[in-house]
Amino acid sequence: MKKKKQQKAKREAKGSAASVCAAEAFGIHLICGLGLAVAFWAARNFYSINLISNPSLTLRLIWVIECPIVILLYSHYRRNRQKCSYLKAVGRGLMGLPVGALVNAFGAIALGAPVGIKYLPKTINWSLMMSLFTVVPATSVFGSSWADWQRIFAHTKPIEPIDYMICIPAHGAIIGAWFGAWPMPLDWERPWQEWPICVTYGVIAGYLVAMVASSGFVLLRGTSQRVKGD
Amino acid sequence: MAKWAWWSGKRVYWVIMVLHLVAILIFTRGFLLTRTELPFHSHCSDVSHSPCFFNSSSHRHHCWTEPAVGRLLIIVLDALRFDFVAPSNIFQEEPKPWMDKLQVLQKLASQRPSSARIFKAIADPPTTSLQRLKGLTTGGLPTFIDVGNSFGAPAIVEDNFIRQLVQNGKRVSMMGDDTWMQLFPNHFNISYAYPSFNVKDLHTVDNGCIKHLLPSLYQEDWDVLIAHFLGVDHAGHIFGVDSNQMLEKLEQYNVILQKVIEVLESQSGPGGLHENTFLLVMGDHGQTLNGDHGGGTAEEVETAIFAMSFKKPSSPQQSNFGTSFGESDSVGRDISISSIQQLDFAVTISALIGIPFPFGSIGHVDPKLYALGAGMENFEDNVENCQNQSKLQEWMQNYANVLCINSWQVKRYLDVYSASSVIGFSSEDLLHIADLYAQAVEKWSGTTKNLLISNNESCNTVLPALKRQIDVYSNFLANVAELARSKWTEFNLMMMGVGLGIMLVSLSVHILAIKRTQKQYDICFTSSGDAGTSFGLLFACFIVVIRACSFLSNSYILEEGKVASFLLATTVVTKLQYLSMKKKMLLEAIAFLLLITICRYTIEVGLTKQAPGSEFLNLHTSWMPRIAPVWMFVTELVPMLGLIFLAFLLYKVIYSDYSAGIEKYVMIGTNLSYVLIAFHWALESSILNLSWVLEGVGRNSIPRIIFAIGFGQLSVLMFGRVVAKEKSLDCKKNLITKTVAMLSACSSTIIILLGKQGPLASIAAIIGGYCITRLGNIKQDANNESSGNLTMDPLPVTQWSLLAVCLFFCTGHWCAFDGLRYGAAFIGFDEFILVRQAVLLTIDTFGFSLILPVFGLPFLVACQQIKVQTRKQVVFAQLSLAYMIYGLIMATTVTATIICVTIQRRHLMVWGLFAPKFVFDVVGLILMDILICLASLYYLVSFDNDSL
Repeated sequence: MKKKKQQKAKREAKGSAASVCAAEAFGIHLICGLGLAVAFWAARNFYSINLISNPSLTLRLIWVIECPIVILLYSHYRRNRQKCSYLKAVGRGLMGLPVGALVNAFGAIALGAPVGIKYLPKTINWSLMMSLFTVVPATSVFGSSWADWQRIFAHTKPIEPIDYMICIPAHGAIIGAWFGAWPMPLDWERPWQEWPICVTYGVIAGYLVAMVASSGFVLLRGTSQRVKGD
Repeated sequence: MAKWAWWSGKRVYWVIMVLHLVAILIFTRGFLLTRTELPFHSHCSDVSHSPCFFNSSSHRHHCWTEPAVGRLLIIVLDALRFDFVAPSNIFQEEPKPWMDKLQVLQKLASQRPSSARIFKAIADPPTTSLQRLKGLTTGGLPTFIDVGNSFGAPAIVEDNFIRQLVQNGKRVSMMGDDTWMQLFPNHFNISYAYPSFNVKDLHTVDNGCIKHLLPSLYQEDWDVLIAHFLGVDHAGHIFGVDSNQMLEKLEQYNVILQKVIEVLESQSGPGGLHENTFLLVMGDHGQTLNGDHGGGTAEEVETAIFAMSFKKPSSPQQSNFGTSFGESDSVGRDISISSIQQLDFAVTISALIGIPFPFGSIGHVDPKLYALGAGMENFEDNVENCQNQSKLQEWMQNYANVLCINSWQVKRYLDVYSASSVIGFSSEDLLHIADLYAQAVEKWSGTTKNLLISNNESCNTVLPALKRQIDVYSNFLANVAELARSKWTEFNLMMMGVGLGIMLVSLSVHILAIKRTQKQYDICFTSSGDAGTSFGLLFACFIVVIRACSFLSNSYILEEGKVASFLLATTVVTKLQYLSMKKKMLLEAIAFLLLITICRYTIEVGLTKQAPGSEFLNLHTSWMPRIAPVWMFVTELVPMLGLIFLAFLLYKVIYSDYSAGIEKYVMIGTNLSYVLIAFHWALESSILNLSWVLEGVGRNSIPRIIFAIGFGQLSVLMFGRVVAKEKSLDCKKNLITKTVAMLSACSSTIIILLGKQGPLASIAAIIGGYCITRLGNIKQDANNESSGNLTMDPLPVTQWSLLAVCLFFCTGHWCAFDGLRYGAAFIGFDEFILVRQAVLLTIDTFGFSLILPVFGLPFLVACQQIKVQTRKQVVFAQLSLAYMIYGLIMATTVTATIICVTIQRRHLMVWGLFAPKFVFDVVGLILMDILICLASLYYLVSFDNDSL
């Protein structure tokens, strides 16, 4: 914690942008990953459920536990530090959650998620979780800066380490979800083929892989920049 | 240049079409085994035409053969593996837990070898219940295309032994699996059918059978009783063979069989109910250890038949009966097991009961099973022995006579078949068969008959003569069966390979042609201007390839529409990425996504209609009645509104500067058609109650007028194409006008054939097409300014084809023969004329998935807003490139289907799912080739002349 404060001080000294070193990126991703693990562990031990037996509640548990972790962590790295306080970043992260969920839900339904009262809670909880993985970090960091959003999501041209940390896991989660949907039509009649279970597995797998990749990118960039600097 | 001449310009489409045609014809010859179902039936009196000998005229009251059994009890145990029945000691490996469970059968077979016997029955693939029951009762081989099959309903139209039973006054009862009811809808006197649909339910069918089976044994109201148990099949599907549920089922069956045999035994005394009853316990097919069946592996095709006759032996010959009874207590020590083909089942049972053999049967009366039923055992061992001479001679004479009738019946079938079928046997095969038959008949009438008539020869001459006669007939029948198997159930892998090879060649021709056109006119696929690969090209390839791979699994074929909409939505979502760069046309993309969502929902509704009794329908029937009047009003009104909207759109086009000359009048004609369609539907609707007008006008006249207008419009357009010269200088505008005119000319016919969903589907197609065009332009906009290069992005074309697939499924079609909307073939006509109705059905089926997309493709090119100077040649080059890409996408998909069908040719669903999909795809591909050729003739005016 002390170290973090020192870094924060350093960053503030540097100006508006908050730069992240490789270890920090790795730490943030580790905490996000651990949050997921805690959610699954809690679901198993306290509620004795899992994604298959009760997807709705498990998904809710995941996003409830991940929500503070993601928002609090990423808000540290907000842009425009002079104008935007930490609390404001947290606030816009919280606002981004339902908006992102809406976008994700629309995307999922357009791609084939079932519509109906039976599936409504599952879809809501799933899209809230997706929102935490994709949209919320970006809202916390960039707020309403359209240029930054465009750079990350349209051009896919991350520059700074924090860009990598937002861009790669978000894309990983979406691509994972896309591939996770493929086993759904198969006639194996397994319970996990239901919406949104295997899609969630895909999301989590994609997210975890992408977090590792993102840490690697940050590390690589850090070293290359150091070389350049020298 | 001359070297390349044959595939320049428009000619390449014709070349590709011919290649496709040849490839598909060759592949189909190898893959789709066809057999014509003949509508003929055997009759009692037919046998007088046969050369066969009747030993005395006093027996003339019986039909073809002398009845040997009075009553027949058939217990079918679905998916009965051979090793369930056979004693475990005949197998090499260690006894498995599921063996030796049906002890009662083994005990009887070992204790009473003269009246009970276990057979290994070998089925012909496909080993699914329906196909097997068909094969068992008709005595024929199942094939994919049963020409003459009644559309949809699986009821057997061919002659079969159930039908013969009914025709000859036998009373048939049935209990158990309702597949029998589908095959024989009104043949049974008494039937207790239970649904076989739910695989997870192990007990309903069995308990129903048990409830009715034992009481029925005391009844006199049946001659043939069929009880079909499903538990073993379902237990195998769910739990596998090595499971407790399977063992429990087998033990349960053992108890039931024990009871059944006890009852039969108790009534089998002289004058008893079952004095002359024949019991058959049999499987229809086997199963693998996982419980799968359908293919042709040994585990699946080997099943068992246990046969037992309750006729009390009267001859002193079976004196060993008493000694063996109760002595061999160790089960299965001396069970002799013989092998029988399921093909032979129908004819053997018919011979035993004494009914005519099914007309299309190619089986051969099995000596062992026939002897068992007729109460004659071990005759073969005693041939050399003259002591039982009279009895043996009588028996062999009888059997030779049965075989004579059998051979005559099979020969008659082959003759009639090759005379009436389009794809028959080759002439040398037929000659060989005819030769064998002639030999047998000659032997029969020349020597054996005389020997028998003279009747005073010693057994030493008569018996060997009879034996030789039997051998000759058996040889003939075996040859026929072998020939039929090779023609009807074996794929010709070489032909399939050649077809596939030509298909691949056509793909490479396609790609080369695209490359060449691209080079010639310097059109690139990329937005960045260089000739290399780009994201758009790669992504389009990825989408096409992933869709092609999805056909490997039957599940994805079943959900093809949803897969297509999923991929289409994916392309739009990735496009959104680019759009958000420019911050424009987001609205179009979102509208397109919404449209895809709606499409997917309609596809789901269509799919649920396909599977009756699903959740969706149940849900809807509950609240349907409450809102019925409103609902009806809405369903009547919405299509009308859609039609008015379409007419309005067309009206706007007519009075814009896009229309001129002939095209204008064509569009006006379409608007007239729309009015007529609306009028027609209003007359048909029950709300306005105008049916009296219909009677006056005649319900067929309006559709006919619309067809006539459509035909007239098309001929006018073609005429205009030949006569008229280019008027306007702006060739793009010209192209749009032509496209609109063409589409409008086609649309009215398609809409009336599709019925009420037609206008809505058209609106969806228009919105979808508009969105694709707009979204496709965005990048070109951006890049043409900088590079000045011409681009032809393959992604919009891919989207165009995916949208077409979605529309196919949206409009209530799916790739199966029951997915055809037969009602559409009879709009405007009452009587059936093959060609006319087939054309209407084709227009209905492929209207939205092929005809409109192919003719509408020029929009993609013509609506590009290119700022650089556009020469006419370049536009046409782009258009021809677009057609080539579209064709390539479709051809790739069909090639993938062909490969998947080849890989899965022994799959459980090959006839149910893969083959219909193959047929639909292949027909679609050929139709698309023809349409592209026509479109190139129509749109690519004077392209060739200048390009060469």
